[in-house]
Amino acid sequence: MKSIVGLFLVLAILVIIPAADYVFAAGAEPGEYLDRRVVIWNLFYRLMAVAFVVGTVVSGTMIWQCWRFRESHPKAKPTPYEKEGVW
Amino acid sequence: MKKKEYGRKMGGHSNWPEWIYVGIVIALMLWVGAEAWNVERLVEHVPEGAEVIKVTGQQWFWTFEHEDGTKEIGELHVEKGKAYKFEITAKDVNHSFNIHDYVVLMDAIPGRVNTVWFAPTDVGEHDIQCREYCGLIHYNMRGTLYVEEPSS
Repeated sequence: MKSIVGLFLVLAILVIIPAADYVFAAGAEPGEYLDRRVVIWNLFYRLMAVAFVVGTVVSGTMIWQCWRFRESHPKAKPTPYEKEGVW
Repeated sequence: MKKKEYGRKMGGHSNWPEWIYVGIVIALMLWVGAEAWNVERLVEHVPEGAEVIKVTGQQWFWTFEHEDGTKEIGELHVEKGKAYKFEITAKDVNHSFNIHDYVVLMDAIPGRVNTVWFAPTDVGEHDIQCREYCGLIHYNMRGTLYVEEPSS
């Protein structure tokens, strides 16, 4: 449970800090303007990082599942269906 | 089917890691959506006092009209540190107004005025180009943005 709280704390920080950063970066002072190059490319790189992380995790999980739950894996156990022949 | 029996049928494993996995993916998606929404909100907020420049695209050149009525064709002179709001339209077919170096990109559509703003930060010359295929000489529908020191 603690690890879940920690995880969501990390995610919350990841969301809150950039959001606060942008609010200040918007430039409330006259003559101070948002640099759209910085904002847009930052977003692009952050979203690419997220996309690659998600892609790695999802494909990694699938590859691991195929590897771990293959019939020939040393730790493979037959499911009750296979073992008992009852469906 | 009772929970225990279901668990046994499922091979006796718990599925809470799957829910955490699903939760993390959903959280990341929400984060991505929120970030993109926020950036769009900030980028679309035109600052007060931005000078309006009317941009007209036509086969195959760009025309610019400043607030004081000055017109330019194929080149645009602006001042560093000032905000500019482009009001973009087209005379014939669809075009797309693009200043790549400043990440300015907006469609120019006949009968419609689209807006986008930017504030140049450095003195220099930058390419302006059309980013919507608009006919034979689309490839050469270019212009130059000149960012100059403020006059006052």
